[in-house]
Amino acid sequence: MSSDAALRADALGKRFGRRGGWALRDCSFRLPAGRVCAVVGPNGAGKSTLLALAAGLTAPTEGSVTVLGTTPAAARPRVGFVAQDKPLYPQLTIAETLRMGADLNPEHWDAAVAEQVVTGGGLDPKARIRSLSGGQRTRVALALAVGKRPELLLLDEPMADLDPLARHELMGTLMAQAAQYGTTIVMSSHVVAELEDSCDHLLLVGGGRIRLSGEIDELLAAHLRVTGAADAGGLDAATVVESRVTGRQLTALVRPAGPLPGDWRTSAPSLEELILAHLRNPGAPALHEESAA
Amino acid sequence: MTAALTGTPAPRAARKPRLTRWVLRLHRPALYAWAGLLVALTALLLGLRGPLADAAAEGWRQYNACPGTARCSYDQDAILRYKDYYDYATVALNALPMLVAGWAGAALIGRELESGTALLAWTQGTPPARWLAVRLAVPAIAVAAGAALLSWLHHLAWNAGRGRIDTAKDWYDRFTFYAGGPTAVVLALAGLAAGVLAGLVLRRTLPALLAGMVATAALRGMTEIALPHLWPAVTRVSTTDQGPLGAGLGVDEGVVTRSGARLPVPACHTEAQCRAAYADISGRWSTYHPYSHHWPLQLTTSALVLAVTALLALGSFLVLRRSTGAPRSVEKATA
Repeated sequence: MSSDAALRADALGKRFGRRGGWALRDCSFRLPAGRVCAVVGPNGAGKSTLLALAAGLTAPTEGSVTVLGTTPAAARPRVGFVAQDKPLYPQLTIAETLRMGADLNPEHWDAAVAEQVVTGGGLDPKARIRSLSGGQRTRVALALAVGKRPELLLLDEPMADLDPLARHELMGTLMAQAAQYGTTIVMSSHVVAELEDSCDHLLLVGGGRIRLSGEIDELLAAHLRVTGAADAGGLDAATVVESRVTGRQLTALVRPAGPLPGDWRTSAPSLEELILAHLRNPGAPALHEESAA
Repeated sequence: MTAALTGTPAPRAARKPRLTRWVLRLHRPALYAWAGLLVALTALLLGLRGPLADAAAEGWRQYNACPGTARCSYDQDAILRYKDYYDYATVALNALPMLVAGWAGAALIGRELESGTALLAWTQGTPPARWLAVRLAVPAIAVAAGAALLSWLHHLAWNAGRGRIDTAKDWYDRFTFYAGGPTAVVLALAGLAAGVLAGLVLRRTLPALLAGMVATAALRGMTEIALPHLWPAVTRVSTTDQGPLGAGLGVDEGVVTRSGARLPVPACHTEAQCRAAYADISGRWSTYHPYSHHWPLQLTTSALVLAVTALLALGSFLVLRRSTGAPRSVEKATA
């Protein structure tokens, strides 16, 4: 098993209850270490389930997930996790919360980084958690996760309730972390624009399955947006993800297998177009740009 | 496993994780409440043992010295005060296991799972099993120490009235029995374990509170049913014209025929029926526990409850491992 994968799933599946539906099914992917990975998908796609499985907070129903080369339980001291609702002990102050982080992570606690994240928001360390707003709580939860100095940071909707300024500043802090210590960051969101600038790897989750996985550049390079006459033909050699006919004109997002006939006008799709096209067409085949795995 | 070792950053300082202080910090209000309850009940029980018992005994001495039907002057208030306060203290000690179970199910575990702070704790550098172990051990020490003190004081208070106060409870009065010995301590510990398990299984505050209390009450009920059979009982036989047999915790009783056979008490409704039913009967028999069985029964009950407590604690760790731990398939995949 290659030790350079920060996160790896093999036929991973999770079902809630014996008769419940599958939240996640047949997921296989590999995330190399040092990447900043966006987990994108609509609400209820299985993003939180995937992150909880990686954090060792729930056990898979089938398949396996490997974290930093070992089981999620064994990797736990080296993994930081921020849950979607940012749970914190409401009766503690911010300073106490960080002291608790130091006491529970005795071997690798970075008090300076944790305090930097908190003071960046102008928070009073003596303030109680229960008196904080949603965005301020997010900041403390992130401080706790970053202060652990993890090798893998799992963030479930980390930026959802932050104002644009705080989002920009905290994203900067996270990226600096990633650059300085080679931290692998996995963050989920359903807002693509939020992640486009900072992430270099994408996991698109839809209907409990992995629809796209790989480096964002490679995924974009593998797709083309084409326009041409509806009766032109010649798209048979390509995988059509989505096509739309307006009058006599056809617009499509395709994965070309070879050069297309010259009468198609082609352009590079944006990340958002790519993601939306795959989400709108659940029947389109999945793509895993990770032959190196 | 080499990958895991080489990937770990060098430890900055060889510090040990400190979990105990955070359990105490997070549950500071409960700790203060427990301390307050201990002080109040200690004062009450010491009062019962000393001045209250003395005053009630003096009241009974006056009453028993009263001549026949003449008007009598005795300290009735002291007698009633002792009786009331004794009942308060006994009820408090009997309710303690349920109180502990409700607290453990709701505040200690259920709330953490409902609000998600358990997930926060489980993703720190210390394993979830340790989180649970500390949450069982720290309250267990506080509860056991406090309950041991209270049940010892209760036994002293009961003993102070024994033989001196005519209305004092017998040793086999069930509320007295479960308040004044090690059973009070182990039942409180069982309440803690039941509450923790309920919290882990139900993952919500209010259902865990109720389930913990109900489970503890059921355990207590079952020990009451089992109690007479937890130590070999004594059987006494007497003739019909003798007075009642030795007093104690009754197990069974009946009549003895002239041929020596032991039968249950015959049912009869009219005088003629009864005369016929008792024609062949020469005596009575009864099986019971005398006072000398008090401590053996306390100890066997305690051992039984302690075993159940251990099973509940083990169950808690299994439930926790199932919800957080690595199942076999994952271990195999990375082996």
